[in-house]
Amino acid sequence: MTRRPDLTADVSEVLLSEEQIQAKVLELGRRISDDFAGRELTLVSVLKGSLPFMADLMRSITIPVQIDLMEVSSYGGTATESSGLVRILKDLSSSIDGRHVLIVEDIIDTGLTLNYLVRYLRGKNPASLQICTLLDKPARRLVEIAIDYRGFEIPDQFVIGYGLDYGEAYRNLRFVGVLRPEVYTDPD
Amino acid sequence: MDLDADLDIRPAPGFAHASEAELARILDFYAVAWEYEPRTFPILFDRSGTVLESFSPDFYLPELDVYLELTTLKQRLVRKKNRKLRRLRELYPDVRIKLLYARDFRALLFKYGKLALADALTGADGQTTPPKVRPPGPIAGPLPVGMTLAAAAAEPGDRTTDRVARDPSHRADHGRRRARRTRSEARARAASRLATAAESGGVEASA
Repeated sequence: MTRRPDLTADVSEVLLSEEQIQAKVLELGRRISDDFAGRELTLVSVLKGSLPFMADLMRSITIPVQIDLMEVSSYGGTATESSGLVRILKDLSSSIDGRHVLIVEDIIDTGLTLNYLVRYLRGKNPASLQICTLLDKPARRLVEIAIDYRGFEIPDQFVIGYGLDYGEAYRNLRFVGVLRPEVYTDPD
Repeated sequence: MDLDADLDIRPAPGFAHASEAELARILDFYAVAWEYEPRTFPILFDRSGTVLESFSPDFYLPELDVYLELTTLKQRLVRKKNRKLRRLRELYPDVRIKLLYARDFRALLFKYGKLALADALTGADGQTTPPKVRPPGPIAGPLPVGMTLAAAAAEPGDRTTDRVARDPSHRADHGRRRARRTRSEARARAASRLATAAESGGVEASA
């Protein structure tokens, strides 16, 4: 992407407003707090897209939690393309052995990355492993994965904002919007 | 836990379409086990029970027990594929299968920043079925990764045949590839043969 992103003009519509997102995050936080009461819970956020959701969700949870961060390479990334295999770019900083783990995702579409992560984390012997995602785009699913906490099911559109990017831009939008197709089809 | 074990030593099957090779690379990247066209489903019979038509989904993901069928034909051309899929679901209701249309595949590659590749692999331009007639001239340009020489020599066309309906030479070629050749060896060999063919002014079609 060589053109300069325009955080206003490049958004064709607001799919989820800041208020809608915050209300849903509070709802999810309440549910998670109830479900994991009395248990050792670790939230594992997957960088970079889930950072805003993780930050808001952890503050809406009313029971003690630990947090950890992971980053996984993506197909097509220049740094890892030569290997042809997914890589853990940032691993957990603490053991999850015997702890209840909740993976916090911004969006689940194909399910490929999450499928890999789930298998990877299961190998670290957590007491349980569940999944929370703010956005679910089932139209793009290749690998079926059970989602325990789902914020919104969204249509098959390219969405940005609230952590989601296109070319590393738009993550700082406070809402989830639809990117104008001209932005990613414009050869300039 | 080593999720990457054995991925690099899997022989490269003879994909009928370059888009299938790309999807295989994506599955490999995310350590999703797959088999290429492992099963053929009879879907149409005559009164005596003779199989008239079959359907071989492109991929089977054994750990997930799901088949994937990839079609990169333009939407208006997928009617036959949709009919086969409906028939398969009627006859084999326990079989889980997903159909990826051209738009799905394009979205998948867009997600990974490979929109240009999506354009090259979808629609008529991406068809690589072994041809019925010899192309008139040499092939220009580089050979896409994973594409076989025979595939590269093919004329663009509607890939409406399934594995069981392909010509015997293709099947024999597929069997040879299943032996021990690694993916990188296959690519190098195909590229070398393409270069040789281009120098001699033409490419022999496999059919």
